[in-house]
Amino acid sequence: MSIEVRNLVKSFEDKKIIDNISFKVDDGEVLAIVGFSGSGKSTVLKLISGLIPYDSGEIITSEGDIAMVFQYSALFDSLNVFDNISFALQERKELKHKYSKEDLKEIVAQKLELVGLKGIENKFPSELSGGMQKRVSFARAIVTEPNSILYDEPTAGLDPMSSTLIEDYIVRLRNELNAASIVVTHQMSTITRTADRVIMLYNGKIVFEGTPTQMLQQDTPYTKQFVTASLDGPMQMKA
Amino acid sequence: MEDLFRYFRMSATYRIYREMVRFLIGVLSMIGQIAQVGLRVLKSVLTCSISPKELIYQCDRFGVSSLPITLSIVGMTSIIVASQVALEMVKQGGGNFIGMLMTILIVREVGAIMSGFAIISMIGSSLASELATMRVTEQVDAIDVLGVDSVSYLFVPRVLSGIIMMPLVVILASFVGVLLGAAASKGFAGLTYRAYFDSALLGLHMKDLWVSLFKSAVFGGSIALISCTWGYFASGGAKGVGIATTKAVVWSFISIVIWDMVFAVLFFF
Repeated sequence: MSIEVRNLVKSFEDKKIIDNISFKVDDGEVLAIVGFSGSGKSTVLKLISGLIPYDSGEIITSEGDIAMVFQYSALFDSLNVFDNISFALQERKELKHKYSKEDLKEIVAQKLELVGLKGIENKFPSELSGGMQKRVSFARAIVTEPNSILYDEPTAGLDPMSSTLIEDYIVRLRNELNAASIVVTHQMSTITRTADRVIMLYNGKIVFEGTPTQMLQQDTPYTKQFVTASLDGPMQMKA
Repeated sequence: MEDLFRYFRMSATYRIYREMVRFLIGVLSMIGQIAQVGLRVLKSVLTCSISPKELIYQCDRFGVSSLPITLSIVGMTSIIVASQVALEMVKQGGGNFIGMLMTILIVREVGAIMSGFAIISMIGSSLASELATMRVTEQVDAIDVLGVDSVSYLFVPRVLSGIIMMPLVVILASFVGVLLGAAASKGFAGLTYRAYFDSALLGLHMKDLWVSLFKSAVFGGSIALISCTWGYFASGGAKGVGIATTKAVVWSFISIVIWDMVFAVLFFF
């Protein structure tokens, strides 16, 4: 087991955003969290990564790093690709004196190769396309060899080909690092091409849990509404 | 009774009080956040968690890039003050005191406070908008997820650069102010440079210089700390960046005026 969430609850100003949810993600497994906008998907990632505190429940992770890939990459504008990727190795207290400049160069080159980008160390984020920025953010996330990787809408805003490429890299990183991965998405291709299991959130609760194939069978009113993108069904969009 | 309470809640007085209480709570909570962040910065400085590369970059930004505007503002203010005062003093027979008056005024007040205003509008606003943009684009979250303390990484070099560079900027600005005050006194009232500087040296004490330097360091640290804190806790996209920047500028202005009062009372009262 790499990530286990038990009875997690989180409220913002008396409104329950996450309402008593539990799930597990094993090493080498990709779990997709789906749901309409505002269903609390990204909040789950922020809770697991420790960016925001939870009200009650438990989050148990195996030892090691949790990495996160942000929706809009969140690369540091003022740093070049090299400094972005090696940021944790250069700035984290316990790592900053561990690596020489040569080591850093080698590690960065290795990570860039893993995401299919070679020789762009000196470029700045503003000089890269959206897809390339996303891949650099993948490289930055895996630089400390994390046990778990959280992806917040990794294909949002990308063209279909770039999305496919990103989805391939999610699978590739899962295979190479054997990391437990959680992908928050509402893109069907990302679910079917990357996920081993899916959970669907609505109003902060899990309303479906199963495989992508089971979700596509539309056996429940929730999966039917989500897959057909229908406005009629148990899930009501907030005005 | 219930009707009376309902009527009171609808009244303008109630709404004014409610807004005042909300404002007060907001101010107190922000002061608390600034103090909390300030303590974390102090802890990081004491544990030597400083990146020299970043500190040099921020010192250059705080001190060097702001110099032209700071020197211009202090210099022009000195010319304006000299133009208003010099001729009148000569008419009243106090020409021998112009240099003393100008120097005390510039070294004790004009140099530090006008430099502070210039730094706030140029550097404080830029610090706040930079950190606010990093916040709303999740770059601050990325720093934390990568296992680096974002407060230490972002605040320490910026606040330290304020403390280090502001006194240097104020020394230079005051020097330029005194020189331009002499030129203006000669131009507007025909006062000789010798009379101006003889009087200036007579009135100036080492205490004035030390207090000015200490005060500038406090101004620099406050401007950087307040601006960074507003930026760091920004939320809500582009609008949030704008609000954080405006608040950083307003709070920094108020803070240096309050500090100036404290220093005036402590050292010259």
